[in-house]
Order: sequence, then structure tokens, then C-alpha cells
Amino acid sequence: MLVNAYAKRVFNLAYQFAGSYQEAEDMTQDIFLKLYGTLSKYDVRRDFTAWLLTVARNHLIDAYRRTKWEKTSRDEFDEHGLAAGESADPEAGLEAAASRKIIWDSLNLLSPDIRMAVILRDIQDKSYEEIAQMAGVPVGTIKSRVNRGRLQLAGILKENKESDHDL
Amino acid sequence: MTCDRIEGLLSPYLEGELGDEARRLVDLHLEACPDCRNLLAALTETRTALSGFPELEISESLRERLLEIPGKKMRFSLSLDFLLKPSLQPVFATAAVFMTLVSFYLFGPYKTAIDRTIDRKIHHGYSQVEKLYVKAGSFRDRLEAGKDNLLVSVKNLEIFGGSKDQTQQ
Repeated sequence: MLVNAYAKRVFNLAYQFAGSYQEAEDMTQDIFLKLYGTLSKYDVRRDFTAWLLTVARNHLIDAYRRTKWEKTSRDEFDEHGLAAGESADPEAGLEAAASRKIIWDSLNLLSPDIRMAVILRDIQDKSYEEIAQMAGVPVGTIKSRVNRGRLQLAGILKENKESDHDL
Repeated sequence: MTCDRIEGLLSPYLEGELGDEARRLVDLHLEACPDCRNLLAALTETRTALSGFPELEISESLRERLLEIPGKKMRFSLSLDFLLKPSLQPVFATAAVFMTLVSFYLFGPYKTAIDRTIDRKIHHGYSQVEKLYVKAGSFRDRLEAGKDNLLVSVKNLEIFGGSKDQTQQ
């Protein structure tokens, strides 16, 4: 039941963070192993999804710090269907996919804390308060991390677009 | 307002979190600064791109691996979890100290000297026991020898109907 309800969410968080499908599968398995081991410590007054994502977040960042994934490149953007998107206008759809590719390739340039904050806020659509609770830091710190991450990614996107125009 | 200051306000500006006054200042700056306008456009595009990542389905092999975990966990907990009880920690600590001492004895350079000392101590203890046993035997003999005299003396006491003279004899 836990697997059916949460595996997809945990896997997607791991994949967005790590950028490697194989790595994300292994991480998801590790996170579920950890979850089953720590279920007895779960405080029933807490929101279960938030608790589960906290365990997943902490595990991903710890594993990143141990293994330094930034040295490994991310999967090709269209390798696992990330390029798929719905758009009425095919040209706009292509442009959006091109932007997503640049952002996808650039995510590993962000530090782990900033990358995780950006993923949780802008991809997983979590509130600043939820992210702050998961990370155990003040809301202001998360806002600052998200802003810095977005600015870094926007800068890269802008440079890429400008160099495309020059060509 | 400087561009650096505006950069810090662009995210809350996009998310509608700025107060009226701050929003007005950012609007004024954006009207006059093409660089910040471009950055705002790139920021908007970045947010759109991030929110457009599709959620992927997990593979069947991963699902199967995840479904196997509770069984594995249960087998582990049935077989080995009792070893993790805090009450067993003193036992493990004592065992560790014991094993350390045994390893010092078995693999240390003084094994022969220790063996000799132990032999000496055992022999010394054995001879002490033997001496005690001999002493106990002689004490018993003396008690048996004096038993008859003691009984006669007790019988001749006045309170048991004997006379003073007999007692003295």
C-alpha cells in the first residue's frame, strides 16, 4: 500500500534531484528500506506525506554529499519521456521543451540544498512552509535558496538563448 | 533601487508576495532597466519550464523490488532484531572485554609466563587446601581422644549428682 501510494512521488523526487534514472531507482529502494525501518518512529500527529518526503529529502542530500553525483552527468533529457508536453501550438511546444532541456541539464550546477529547494517548490509545488519544515530551517532561508536557484537557472537559460540568437 | 536589490525581489514579485510599495518600486525599476526586464522574462520562463516537467511512472522492476522490502525487513526483524535490545548491551560489553583479554592471552608474547604463574598459583592453592585438610584431621583426632574424659568430667559435676572429690579426680 505504501508502495502504490508513494513510490511514484519518491522516485520522481529522486530522479529530478539525481538526474540519473538508475540512480533514482536505487535511491528510491534505499529510501523505502529506511522508511520501513523508521515507521515505528513516525509521530501519528504529523502529516505522513510530509514526514515521508522529509525522510526522502534527507536521504537524497546525505547520499549526494557522500557520493558527489555532480561529477556524473544527468540522463539525456528525452531519454525517459521528459520532453513530452502538451501544447496546442507545436512551435511553442518545441520552444518550451528546449527550455526544459536547458533547465534539466543545469540542475546539477546548483548546490544540493538549493537544488532540492527549487525542485520542491517549482516542480513538486510545495509551499515554502512545508519545505522549511522538511529541511528544518526558517522559511526565509528557503525563500532565499529558491530565489538564488531560480536566478542561477534563469541566468543560464538567458545565456543559452542569447548564444542561440547570435548563431 | 539597484539591479542587485531588484534581483532579490524578483521571485516574490512573480509570486505576488510583495507589498504595494515594494511592487511599485520594482515596476518603476523594470520600466527603466532592460537587463532586469530580460532577467524577469528568463525567470518566468524558468519557472514555467520547471513546472512543466512531467511526472514519470515507476518501472515494474522497481515496483517489484519495493514490494519485496517488507518481507525482507520482517525476516530480519524476526531473526536478528532481538540483538538490538538495549538490555543486552552490558552483556555484549562484558563479552567484548572478555574476548579482548582472551586474545591478549592467546596471541600475546607472555603466554608461557602466564601459564607458569597460573600453574604456580594452582599448586600453591592446592597445597594450602591439603594443609587445611591435615589440620582438620588432627583436630578431629584430638577431639575424639578428649571426648571420653570430657564426658566423665561432665557426669561428675555436682549438678548431675557427682561429688567434688570425684570431679577433682
